[in-house]
Amino acid sequence: MDKRTNEEWIADLRAGGEPQAQALEDLRAIILRGLPYAIAGRIAPNSPESEALVEEIVQETLMRVLDNLDTFEGRSQFTTWAHKIAVRAALTELRRVRWREVPLPEMAMDEEGDASYREIPDNQASPEDQVDRKDMMKRINRIIMEELTEKQRMAMTATMEGFPLEEAAQRLGMNRNALYKLMHDARLRLKKRLEKEGLTPQQVLSVFERVGK
Amino acid sequence: MKIKQIFQWLLGSNKKKSSSPQNGMQADKSEMMQKVLTMLSNTQDVEMTCDEVFAVLDQFAELAARGEDVSRLMPLVQHHLDMCPDCQEEYKVLQRIVLNAV
Ligand SMILES: [Zn+2]
Repeated sequence: MDKRTNEEWIADLRAGGEPQAQALEDLRAIILRGLPYAIAGRIAPNSPESEALVEEIVQETLMRVLDNLDTFEGRSQFTTWAHKIAVRAALTELRRVRWREVPLPEMAMDEEGDASYREIPDNQASPEDQVDRKDMMKRINRIIMEELTEKQRMAMTATMEGFPLEEAAQRLGMNRNALYKLMHDARLRLKKRLEKEGLTPQQVLSVFERVGK
Repeated sequence: MKIKQIFQWLLGSNKKKSSSPQNGMQADKSEMMQKVLTMLSNTQDVEMTCDEVFAVLDQFAELAARGEDVSRLMPLVQHHLDMCPDCQEEYKVLQRIVLNAV
């Protein structure tokens, strides 16, 4: 049943009527065979919740496939292309379910809170290392404050906390693609500023890697 | 966002750790710092965006499944997958589907 060539898939899905209906039915079956790989470990399989979710994902995928047929360039098998769309739809939905109750990390602090990092107990590091690290921490902090916008700092904090980009983006009022660009810009800025100050990330790292030596 | 929040981010001090408080905090701090700096050192001037990667992910997955050296053939895609947790997660699922010839 999935013996169609790429061209046949496209032709049938564009045909309307019976050929299209048959192609959609076949494609639905193919997507359903792929979805367990997306769901595994993320939501209990065969639960009523997962069944409803699967149906929603399949519907969404078929719709997107039809809407985006023009963008299929034939660089892969048509079914791989359709699986790709299904996986994205599935993980987007699963992330939404998993993270919907979680607010973006936000900590209400006072301006003078910066004393906290000065007295970090570290029995293993030498006094010199501790001084190095405090200085470096201050320096990195200053660079972050000077180079990044608030949105960039929030985005980086969120992803460091394990937030999916997709979810952080939604809370920051943008899409995932825009958030990636925003964070890329943030990373570039920090990197270039470090370079300007004569530091490489590796050098900074080495100051912190002496922990425990 | 205030200064201390950034410190907390760098220090990871808002995280609960089960290990001994002092070493836990220390480990967290350097772990966070390491994460940030590793990200910085892996940052390239030109990187693909999520949408650009999505557009070729099917092709990439099939090449990889055939055993092609994808990080040489499509280095920017590979780099994005290394940097972007969302795309990486989606790619891993797609890869399993392709490898199992579902
Ligand atoms: Zn991405």
